[in-house]
Amino acid sequence: MNKLLLLVCLLFFFNCKKNSETILKTYPRNIGDISFDVTKDNVDFVPCNGDDKIYQYFNTGDGLDFKGEKYSINNTFKEKYVSVNNNESGLIRVRFIVNCKAQTGRFRILQMDNQYKEKQFDPKITNQLLEITKNLSGWKIKKYHGSEIDYYQYLIFKIEKGQIIEILP
Amino acid sequence: MRKLITYVFLYFTLSVFSQNCDAYKWEGKLLKYKACIKAKETKSYYQFDRRYHEALDAAIKIDSTYDNAYWAKSISYLKSGDFLSWKPLIDKAVALDPIMHLGYRGWCRYQFFRDYKGAISDIEEFEKITNNEVGYCQNGDYHLLIAKAICYKAIGEKDKAIEIIENYLVKNENESDLFNFYHLGVLYFEKGEYHKALKCFKEQEKNNNTADNQYYIALCYKEVKEYAEYKKSIKQAKTAYKDGYFMHDPYTHQYDKVYLIQIEEELKKSKEI
Repeated sequence: MNKLLLLVCLLFFFNCKKNSETILKTYPRNIGDISFDVTKDNVDFVPCNGDDKIYQYFNTGDGLDFKGEKYSINNTFKEKYVSVNNNESGLIRVRFIVNCKAQTGRFRILQMDNQYKEKQFDPKITNQLLEITKNLSGWKIKKYHGSEIDYYQYLIFKIEKGQIIEILP
Repeated sequence: MRKLITYVFLYFTLSVFSQNCDAYKWEGKLLKYKACIKAKETKSYYQFDRRYHEALDAAIKIDSTYDNAYWAKSISYLKSGDFLSWKPLIDKAVALDPIMHLGYRGWCRYQFFRDYKGAISDIEEFEKITNNEVGYCQNGDYHLLIAKAICYKAIGEKDKAIEIIENYLVKNENESDLFNFYHLGVLYFEKGEYHKALKCFKEQEKNNNTADNQYYIALCYKEVKEYAEYKKSIKQAKTAYKDGYFMHDPYTHQYDKVYLIQIEEELKKSKEI
């Protein structure tokens, strides 16, 4: 009886192991999709074509589309960002959605040090970057096959000792 | 034309899994062959699509040493600027097959994250393991040695950058590629060597005369006080820009790129002389 019980337990164990191995990681519809979060997002911002039809900024082939090009974005940050005097360096990405009316929303921040390890920068840096990005006006409406689309855009800030060195993409 | 090239490029990058799996079979690597066949299921899906990643996860489950699956998974994270998710995936691909992926990782560190030191480190390591045959970057715009030169410039080593490009041009019989002479010209211009810079921009003019190149030709003429040529060149720069001939990449801005506002500001200044 004990042997039978042991056999059942072993079979159960191996079966569980097999199942856990075959369970694949779960992904959103598309990598990087940003769902609405009532605690973070402005309820008035809505993608025009629904959450399942949001493109990436490069899908149209035009790259970053901003009035005055990236030169204008660089100048805005030069004027408005106040350098924080500390030793913090790395990259900060602010990613968001631009809808078909050129409105922006669902901003999210990702941060790393120069070794590609997750890092929390001083909020004096991240809060400024977030607020200036939120207030950028000049995103262009993108069209794909003749229709106005919603798209994901990001800005990556290369930070060295609290200063913005470069902005991507 | 620019759009056509972009669409052709995007088409090919959308279907990255065009690998011939039979090669693994002939080499007796049957697990890799099976993983490769599984990975081919991605061909119906966009790189960002959940199903694309699930097929690659299944391929990795068949053979956890199948490097191409890690590389293919890394791409959507790269293109969405998710450096934290991209790096472990591409590192895994590099660790499994550095010949296939190390040069690519170096290029991406430069193009997407302006990680100049990381890019230099990868490209120089790649030079060692390929006996200095590093080839071109992913989008074909640059030889990896030119990309390395740009990275050296970005960290302040302009003389080293010049030396790398000059050596490359000698060994490759003045191969202009898309922007070789342009970047060399900008380097000389920034060092105040305007005649050398102008010579480079004139070479660039023969093959790929963008608005960016015309802008710098104008600045060189201004510095050497040839004002008639300066005025003519800056006007040509604006025309070229309006006609769509300027440095462009759908993912990130190119190094040394000149924007329309800069050309227009210079055009205004030229009218005051």
